[in-house]
Amino acid sequence: MSTMTINGKPASLPDDPDALLVDVVRDTLDLTGTKLVCGAGVCGACTVLVDGEPAVSCLMPAHAAANRSVTTVEGIGAKDLHPVQKAFMAHDALQCGFCTPGFIVEAAAFHDRWRAAKGTGVPSREEIGAALSGHLCRCGAYDGIFRAVADACAGRFDGNDILPPRLEARDKVTGSAKYTVDIHHDGQLEGVILRSPFAHARISELDLAPARTMPGVNAAISLLGDDRVVRYVGEPIAAVAATDRKTALAAIAAIKLTSERLPSVIGLDDARSANAPVVFEKSARKKAGNVSEGGGSPASWKGNIRGPTAAFSKKPRKVRSWVADARAANNPLLVEATFRTGTQQHSCLEPHAAVARFDGDRLTVHVSTQAVFHLMELIAKRYKLDHDKVRVIADHVGGGFGSKAALGVETTTAIDLAREAKAPVRVAYDRHEELSVTGYRPAAEMKIALLPSEQGELKALSFTAHADTGAATNSTIAALARLIYPAEAKELADFDVISNLPAGAPFRGPGGPPMAFALEQAIDEAALRMNVDPIALRKRWDPDPNRQRLYDWALSLDVWRNRKPIAAQSGRYRRGVGVATGYWLYLWQPGSKVEVSVKRGRLVVSTATQDIGTGTRTVIANTIAREFGLEPHEIDVRIGDSKLPEGPGSGGSRVTASVIPPMLLAIGQLKTAIRQNARRQPVPGSNAPWRELLAASPDLSASGVRPEDSRRTAPGVESPLKQAGFLGWIFGWMMRRFSNLAIGAGVPSSVQIVEVEVDTWLGHVRVVNVHTGIAVGKIVAPALAHSQAAGAVIQGIGYALYEAREVDSRTGDVLSGSMEDYRIPGIADTPVIDVHFDQAGYDHVLGGGVGIGEVATVPTSPAVANAIHNATGVRLTELPIRPDRLVAALKGRAAA
Amino acid sequence: MTATAMNATHTGEFRAAGTDLSERRRSGVSRGPLIDIAAAPDMIGMHWAADGSLRLGAFTTIAAIAADPLIAAAYPGVAASAQGLATPQIRHLATLGGNLAQRSRCWYFRNPHIACLKKGGSDCPARSGNHLYHVAFDLGPCVAPHPSTMAAALLAYEAKVTTDRRSSLTIGDLLGDGSNGTADNTLQPGEMIKSVTLASPLQGERALYKRAISRTHAEWPLVEVCARAVIRDGTFHLIRLAAGGIAPVPLRLAAAEGVLQGKQASVSIIAEAAQQATSGAKPLPMTGYKVDLLKGIVRDVLERLMG
Repeated sequence: MSTMTINGKPASLPDDPDALLVDVVRDTLDLTGTKLVCGAGVCGACTVLVDGEPAVSCLMPAHAAANRSVTTVEGIGAKDLHPVQKAFMAHDALQCGFCTPGFIVEAAAFHDRWRAAKGTGVPSREEIGAALSGHLCRCGAYDGIFRAVADACAGRFDGNDILPPRLEARDKVTGSAKYTVDIHHDGQLEGVILRSPFAHARISELDLAPARTMPGVNAAISLLGDDRVVRYVGEPIAAVAATDRKTALAAIAAIKLTSERLPSVIGLDDARSANAPVVFEKSARKKAGNVSEGGGSPASWKGNIRGPTAAFSKKPRKVRSWVADARAANNPLLVEATFRTGTQQHSCLEPHAAVARFDGDRLTVHVSTQAVFHLMELIAKRYKLDHDKVRVIADHVGGGFGSKAALGVETTTAIDLAREAKAPVRVAYDRHEELSVTGYRPAAEMKIALLPSEQGELKALSFTAHADTGAATNSTIAALARLIYPAEAKELADFDVISNLPAGAPFRGPGGPPMAFALEQAIDEAALRMNVDPIALRKRWDPDPNRQRLYDWALSLDVWRNRKPIAAQSGRYRRGVGVATGYWLYLWQPGSKVEVSVKRGRLVVSTATQDIGTGTRTVIANTIAREFGLEPHEIDVRIGDSKLPEGPGSGGSRVTASVIPPMLLAIGQLKTAIRQNARRQPVPGSNAPWRELLAASPDLSASGVRPEDSRRTAPGVESPLKQAGFLGWIFGWMMRRFSNLAIGAGVPSSVQIVEVEVDTWLGHVRVVNVHTGIAVGKIVAPALAHSQAAGAVIQGIGYALYEAREVDSRTGDVLSGSMEDYRIPGIADTPVIDVHFDQAGYDHVLGGGVGIGEVATVPTSPAVANAIHNATGVRLTELPIRPDRLVAALKGRAAA
Repeated sequence: MTATAMNATHTGEFRAAGTDLSERRRSGVSRGPLIDIAAAPDMIGMHWAADGSLRLGAFTTIAAIAADPLIAAAYPGVAASAQGLATPQIRHLATLGGNLAQRSRCWYFRNPHIACLKKGGSDCPARSGNHLYHVAFDLGPCVAPHPSTMAAALLAYEAKVTTDRRSSLTIGDLLGDGSNGTADNTLQPGEMIKSVTLASPLQGERALYKRAISRTHAEWPLVEVCARAVIRDGTFHLIRLAAGGIAPVPLRLAAAEGVLQGKQASVSIIAEAAQQATSGAKPLPMTGYKVDLLKGIVRDVLERLMG
């Protein structure tokens, strides 16, 4: 047996030649700061130092560390925080934090080399980008990382400790933050799922005995539905729990299947053909997943096509006749085009994971989830348990983006296996599972016709969307075109195209980015034909008061005012500037409750929400700290546990607006109670009256429930649904009744200006700079809101330029199941990002602000496409705008 | 799962640093015994001979090649290629021998549930399937491009490879001509790369490396070119163009070299060479763009070499 030195201490290495260093570090030594994400050396989350040099521990055989010195993130700042750790904290160079330990290890090594060679010289963006090119962050914290690394190298963080703007930043930069995949109970087993190798089949026989009887296997269960049909490659068939992953994998390989293959159909085009095999027979339609955050409205099915859902149309027959007339008259103002978007995977760096444990009749589940409280309700209902017998915990969540909002197979399987095995069970998806079966933003084909009137108003809009939803339904893309740019008439139709692919899921502003990609390019084209400035045209056609202010801001930007005419350049590299608009709904969750207490002189806030990297802990702490004149770090924020008072899910940008109003009510009550209970009032003129009162206060508690504010509107502020009249009212009622979501007044809005440089030889687009203007009211945690806004732009750049799930259209296999083939943006792809918050518009909301997460990513892809058009004169109608598509478009021929 | 029959006849698969193999072990594409290479002294380090030639031990890491100032001076195309591939953390571990002997990155090959020629299957699923990142020079039954960036650079330098059984192998000898779809190289079971030898540089030679990718860093090349030239008095006295990402093996762009050899460097001759670089291209339905990218890269490197 050989040994290594790890963080200064000796540790023995296993004899198994297949053991990898990451497994020893995480599983044997419980140094869980090192994360396993891609397993392929792409993302860098597993980076450790081996004899001082960064190395990917996910690919390094454990025995190769023999007689060498290994340093993990836990060893980097063991005594005093490394300057890089302090810089990451100060610059908020992190969000969910799952990639952070890997970045810290690499950046610390870079910093130490740099300082040794160059003193306190400042590295360039290019140097930092190259040094950190082996790391990926899905939240898009790169903007802060650039600043942090540059400032640490410049020696600005050599000194004392700092107070970070993000409450839990220290835990994330030191690797001590525990995520679901890091949970380890005594006797815990590893659960693995056997998945369908077929796109469509009936599993006639399933023999679990060979797995169940293997040594080390404690449970083997069927996951088949009552019809025993699997409808996509990767659909769960069975699961086993064993003492370790290797044994579990051997066990699922031993399970015997007999199956009857059924005809299958893959993807948007084939599934629409007349003789395509049907994926869901009528009796099985309820098995389809949901790609939206709300419940769906009813729609007809015809074969694999569900729709149209066209309730948001307005005088659709008028649209048809006006567009037909305009076409017949060769009206040059009529804009008609077809757009296509790619399938975007959430690619959370922490995979979907759950650890289930029964203690008698009590069930505790650690889940990587966006909704601890709702998940507790769903688990209690499914397993017929009382609410107080189920506890869902998520201290830290390594990204969600919409994919972790429902009760997932990883969770039910962990629970089922734990019950069967009578032992705690962890199910953590591998990267191929994460990039294939956990949901995605469906690809879409969108046909648009936009007709301005002779007077220059928007007369009619026709928008038909077909979404590639796989084994799911309920796409709303076209419908979202109702709530912006009012027109005399709109014909809006959404279709789901169902095929034998994994089910789509909600993804950050479901329907918003594809809708904007089509509509915002059509608006741009209309401006071109009308010879009007594209922002001025939006100002004319889009009366929303929040966006009117953002348009004025955008018009004033130098980059906009100095932009060149379309296709004015002829060299290899061409620069262009584009604009696009986006909106989202102001959503909040009725019933959200916050408890604020004084316990032994300290303020404690409790609510069963969670922080998926958005900054919820900090938003809560900042709000209460401001009210009491304290520092945020003095507040004890308790979230991530369903035992706490009911809190909102982290989806639909709802958390801020669901949590702050009830918290402010609770704070008001608590203040009254503290004053009433005070034996002595603070000294007149005291700098910190509440500090004095709190120190002397007995334990007290108050709670608030989210009040209504939808009707309490200021002049000019109304629910966006008002535009849709009675139908909007019905929609609002349904969202509330079936999805527990209220739609408030005022429209969260974003306007983005993007500058690109196009390499016309190599089909490469570089986004040079982005100005993102956001109107969501008051910003409670400015540094964190900046991080989220910049991250949303980076994710939008990924959607625009790189990201696409690729499948085999015959077999339904997802081919892009690794992070080298599913391409998310890296640090060097990050433009200079200017974030502008317009903080007006939400005075009618208690606290004055709403959520930012979704709206901030909606306009990026059309702004990029409009900028490319400005640079080259070529309109890119298909996402992602990869080199293959760009060189083809520049040559004026269709890409394959 | 027919996919795992591949190594049945081998005594075991060699492992150097494991940066390619570990991923295939985890996924189950590679099974069976492993043989960890115990690096013999002649496989370690860089040895400059008196005649100015260089022998690189197969165990030399990519990072060591990328950082060596003598290599950067003598063989700038080799240094630039080493600097441009993979990520810093991989370059620190990965070896030159492992880079040359690495297996295909094809997404069908890497999927343990899908059969293919390289895993004992009877046909290439990428040819009739999704081959977005595959070859534009269709030279054999398998349509996956060879993944070794170092091989393309060494081809431009006409380097020689020594194994424990054979010596003075060209890159062509080592990797074949692309007609054998079942293998990524001509190494026999149990045969191991020991070292690579580069002849002494010519007077005044220059070299460049460029890859086309969608992002800025850390992506397998769509197309890559290592270009090496001696330009004196504005004339191409020597020109070597080697391309990767476009064929089952790295390719010398002989027709383009022919256009330039002995000619006065000019914008028009570069344009002609870029055009000729694609001669012999036979793109698949989804890889026509690689022909355009190849032209663009050849133009890019030649203009910079000239400038």
